[in-house]
Amino acid sequence: MGRENPAEEALILLRSRLCNPNYIFTPFSDSPDSNYSKLKFIISSSVTEACNNSILLLGPRGCGKIAVLELVLRDLLVEHPDMISVIRLNGLLHSDDNCALKEIARQLCVEHQLLFSKMVSSDDNSQFMIAMLQECGLAHKTIIFVLDEFDLFTQGKQRLLYSLLDAMQSVTSQAVVIGVSCRLDADQILEKRVRSRFSHRKLLFLPPSKEDLQRLLEHILSLPTDSSLPHDYAVEFNAKLHNILGDERFKEILNTLSSSDSTVNHLLRFLFRAVCHMNLESGFLSLENFKSALSSVQRQPKLECLQADCSILELYILVCMKRLEVKEENSYNFNSVMKEYKAIHDSFRTPDYYARNVCLRAFEHLLQRELICFTDNRGHNQSVEYRPVKLLISSQELYQGLKSSRSCPVS
Amino acid sequence: MGKEESPQVTRRTTRFSSSMAILNNAAETTKTSYHHPPMLKDLVFGEEPISLDDLYSCFPCRRLQIFELIRLLGPMDSPLLPLFLYGGPATGKTSIILQIFRHLNRSFIYSSCLTCYNPRILFESILNQLLLHRKSAANGYSSAKRCERPSDFINLLREALIDVTNNLKENSGKLSSKKLMGRANGKMIYLIFDNLELVREWDKSSNILPFLFKLYDLLKMPEVGLIFISNTSPDTYYSNTGYIEPVPVHFPDYTEDDLHQIFMRNQANPKLYSSFLDIVMRPFSRITRRVDELSTAFSPLFKKYCEPLSDLGLAPNEEMKRRLFSHLHPHIAPSLNEIFTVQSQSSLEIDTNKEKSKRKGNMKKLGVCEAFDDIDFHMSTSAKYLLLSAFLASRNPATLDASLFDSTGGSDNRKRKRKSSEKSIGLKETAEQELLMKGPGTFPLERLLAIFQCLTSVAEGSLDEEQQENEGLGAEGGDSGLMSDVLLQLSSLCNANFISKGRSCPLEGSTRYRSTVSEDLALKVARSLKFPLSKYLYR
Repeated sequence: MGRENPAEEALILLRSRLCNPNYIFTPFSDSPDSNYSKLKFIISSSVTEACNNSILLLGPRGCGKIAVLELVLRDLLVEHPDMISVIRLNGLLHSDDNCALKEIARQLCVEHQLLFSKMVSSDDNSQFMIAMLQECGLAHKTIIFVLDEFDLFTQGKQRLLYSLLDAMQSVTSQAVVIGVSCRLDADQILEKRVRSRFSHRKLLFLPPSKEDLQRLLEHILSLPTDSSLPHDYAVEFNAKLHNILGDERFKEILNTLSSSDSTVNHLLRFLFRAVCHMNLESGFLSLENFKSALSSVQRQPKLECLQADCSILELYILVCMKRLEVKEENSYNFNSVMKEYKAIHDSFRTPDYYARNVCLRAFEHLLQRELICFTDNRGHNQSVEYRPVKLLISSQELYQGLKSSRSCPVS
Repeated sequence: MGKEESPQVTRRTTRFSSSMAILNNAAETTKTSYHHPPMLKDLVFGEEPISLDDLYSCFPCRRLQIFELIRLLGPMDSPLLPLFLYGGPATGKTSIILQIFRHLNRSFIYSSCLTCYNPRILFESILNQLLLHRKSAANGYSSAKRCERPSDFINLLREALIDVTNNLKENSGKLSSKKLMGRANGKMIYLIFDNLELVREWDKSSNILPFLFKLYDLLKMPEVGLIFISNTSPDTYYSNTGYIEPVPVHFPDYTEDDLHQIFMRNQANPKLYSSFLDIVMRPFSRITRRVDELSTAFSPLFKKYCEPLSDLGLAPNEEMKRRLFSHLHPHIAPSLNEIFTVQSQSSLEIDTNKEKSKRKGNMKKLGVCEAFDDIDFHMSTSAKYLLLSAFLASRNPATLDASLFDSTGGSDNRKRKRKSSEKSIGLKETAEQELLMKGPGTFPLERLLAIFQCLTSVAEGSLDEEQQENEGLGAEGGDSGLMSDVLLQLSSLCNANFISKGRSCPLEGSTRYRSTVSEDLALKVARSLKFPLSKYLYR
């Protein structure tokens, strides 16, 4: 690229690494008992032995299910060219059966250089899919169906899943269905006719352990010494990085981070922030970068809103609502809040007493900030004053917020 | 006055101009009959790039956020994890991000979920911008691609993005050899989604929101950066499906000092205005710290403040400040309570308007004074009676109707009413509490018509006198035979949103109505009719 500043080049390299899940998960692929090896074994055996298979990849969000699968598929496509075609579906996009069939047909057409028509009925599409499955089976080609957000495919009548898995029961077809879901009970929500056709292979993906995290950090953040980057710079950068990673204070930061959420994605977002704050003049990461990133990743929006954003009048209204809740009034609306507000004003003689319409606007601000909300979604034709509301913050949060802003009568 | 200093105004202009940048080009090219098809450069901010210092001075007190955003956006051609900008209204989220793109001169696509109010319009507007498609008379104002489902959108979007980024890459190749003006920097393209909080109210929001948040993972294109802008904090988006959280950037509300700095911008006489702000800022910021609301409240006050001055260019000394303060002081308290009322006329006329409305109150002219004091609208007498009876039907419990109204009407009716109203004072307070809770009740049409008849028969006597004054405007008011007219009036009141039509009651099967007018308005209407409304009110 020929950039003048090696720091900038390093920054771009790190950022593109952080945005590329395939890169992040490569270090996990070499050990024999990793999910990568297991998954690769299953898929490649069904490709070479020409059999049908189905498998579920389960685990919390951000643990690299899709990334590992992509790695496996990439390697298999290199190993067995012309024997695999991959159809990718996503529950967020194709949970509707017709839509999913259309997408399958489209991807099959693209894959096999056929002409795809948008106007074809879903019945034709499904017949086309089954015909294609048979054709591919005869040609010893495996079709791999990747169903991301697998749980969303089970919402309707599960026709798609049924027709897919049913087609796989025949000898002539050759396909692998891979479901990816963050719901651990994804196979339990299948209908009986679907479940009985499903092989109950499951692979569980877990957040990385501490040692893995350390390895991962080094893998992501250290610069290559044999690239376009100046060699001396890369070596110095890596040495400094090594110091930081070994630092007790950094381990502290990492601990607090992983105690709230230990998935890889969370870590990536944290690292992204830290890397973005890298000093471009010196060109090295510092512990300060990680500290500031931690503080900006761990936020308490509600409390921040109370402390910094709310005006005095809005705080008054919140306190009034709190008092109403303490009084165990099961439901209240703006009018009863106003009554309470007046009572507070009468008993404490505060200087802040405003007209009703001003309070109503402050009340609407609170609704907009989502510190309070309506208890029900019904009654849209009623005006704001009469609809029952509730607080969305706990009393501790309110108390903390009030303490940091100013003294206010709290009962 | 007071227009230049508020960022609210600048924000409007930036939004406007950013959308106009493309529209202007469109207009020009249509004139020259399609000789210049839209270019890729239209995707950048339409005007000359600004320097970083200008950017900082444009948005006082936002240095931290601008710095962080520029850092997060990173150098040219660096990938970006999805960003999530949040903060209250009028904190400069949209204008800052747009101006940053103007500063960086990179391609972006801005779409607001406020104007694109459903998925299809949102998708099509993004695609139109990407495909450099303009709606015009030639194509029947249709979009480039028709797409309703997220699944279609993602395919079309990917195609379009690949096209655009390839072009951008070529361009940036050229750019290095010879510097072309107006070309975007880099090959990245950014999609900005504004007003994201509105998506939650869309019909299929349970699908669309996770889709938008996962768009980055679905596209798997490092050349695309996503930026979400929202009024509400990220924790209000949690749904049971869960999704990948974007990187949050918080825009806090302005503090009192920040507001002082903001309002001091572009003032003709900074010293004078600063002394004015010293007085008004503290009480007003206790109510609200939103720039837009404060600027509307301050502009008439500053006029008032300057009234005793002959020369506005003077720098005030201590004594003059005191004099001005004593002049302004009585006006602060009332305007605090009026801070949010919208002035439909220019502030000069406010005083005269108030006097007028006072006179109106005395004269009891025809026409109802709305809560804002300066909006008059005309309404026939029978419509007024109908409005009053709807108000009563909503306000009073149905069981009390028999004691309040008597079919005979006339004077002995009134005595009864007084008695019952005295009786009702003694009634339990819990009932009143409940009334406060539930708001106006619903009622069937029959009850409304019955009350309407009672009211008109009561008011007949007084109405006849009034009729002579009012040239027959109340002609049909006394005539209870014109039921079809009354129904027409009712439907027009419904259309004017004075009466809301509810769902039909499952037991009775007939439509139920609810009056939405406030008590103030009802009393005003009653006063204009010289109708003793308070006698009929159940308290």
